[in-house]
Amino acid sequence: METIGTVIGRNGVVLRAGPAREACFTVVTDQAEMAKHPDGSLLSRREQLHGDVNAEIQSLEIAAQSLADFPDAPWELRLELARQCWDETRHAQVFLRRLLALDGYKGEFPIINQDWGVVCMFDNLPARLAVQNRIFEALSLDVFKEGVEAWTGWGDPETAEVIEGVMVDEIRHAAFANEWLRRLSVGNPSAMLKAVAAMSRLKSMAQALTPPWMKMEHEIPSNVEDKRHAGLAT
Amino acid sequence: MYLNVKQRGDYVATFRWIEVRLMEMLAAWVPTTPELEVKLVFGAHIWEAAQHADALGRRANELRLPLHDSLEPARAYVELLAEVGAVTDTATRIAALYDSILPGMDARYRHYVDQVDVLLDGPTVRIVERILNDTARMARESQELREEVPAVKSTESKWLEALRERDTRLRDVVGHRGMTPAVPVG
Repeated sequence: METIGTVIGRNGVVLRAGPAREACFTVVTDQAEMAKHPDGSLLSRREQLHGDVNAEIQSLEIAAQSLADFPDAPWELRLELARQCWDETRHAQVFLRRLLALDGYKGEFPIINQDWGVVCMFDNLPARLAVQNRIFEALSLDVFKEGVEAWTGWGDPETAEVIEGVMVDEIRHAAFANEWLRRLSVGNPSAMLKAVAAMSRLKSMAQALTPPWMKMEHEIPSNVEDKRHAGLAT
Repeated sequence: MYLNVKQRGDYVATFRWIEVRLMEMLAAWVPTTPELEVKLVFGAHIWEAAQHADALGRRANELRLPLHDSLEPARAYVELLAEVGAVTDTATRIAALYDSILPGMDARYRHYVDQVDVLLDGPTVRIVERILNDTARMARESQELREEVPAVKSTESKWLEALRERDTRLRDVVGHRGMTPAVPVG
């Protein structure tokens, strides 16, 4: 794996230097600099979609970077990552389509590439699968389930349907990571140890990177059904 | 005289090596390409190259080679791919891949079909036909991309012309076994 550039985030957390972005985007490195509009307002809905586009782009970049960084990974696992790349491009496109439908545009709000910065600091594939696919993608199942209800409530069934469709793919991404972490650990317990160590490190990074006033106000209910479908503990 | 089983295996394994390299090249380009629309096309085409590599790798096994056997192509072609992979400018990346590398591979796949008994080697021919179909779609999408984002349209450069000429001269890139050892990738 080639030497990587790093940046320093909030509270001195070391992150991988950001992926390339067009000049139209304002890229911030601290969550405190992100825009925040009243829930349910048109601006807030566009901001969510704008963030969803960038989140999907980061997921694409993380999967692609793992393909580039780990050429010796089992072929079947690389094939899953390649498929994930395609999935994430489709997700970014449908979210962008919805953003444009609501008169939003590329670069309308600040973006943060924290997922990339955290995940791509890990120098081994089990760690990246554990953090990106088993935690972030699984967490997105909870967030998206809540999102379907919220967008329906805001009278936007098209976006609710898009989120529902995206969730189907996210289940698969969490499931293949779960399965591959198990397979990589057979006869090689260090793979599981790396995954566990990464999850523990993620916890401390997330605490340090989140401004105190931006901690979750409410606990998002677990999407038990989809997580079960992905083979994850609920 | 048609290619024999051993020769066909070498072609298939070499094609697989190249498709894996193309997948890796696109994968490395995704985070380092700023333009969102281009990132999305490169990202989608990672999956195309991966599927090609997968189908060829399975076919290699049917031709008495290990599953997903890969054979490194001629050194000059490996160097050409490395040179293209190192390009950083978006317009040049697009032109190099879609106007030189992929058409070059297209010609190699067609040349392969010309050299085999299409009935006897039907399974490989079907795979190649699907790859050619995918490659045509990829070329179309790259063209649409350049219409959508004119800034990534490349002006005809000497470099690209030279690349095309080198690619054309390297029409047969198969690293036949016995002369070049097999190199597993991916």
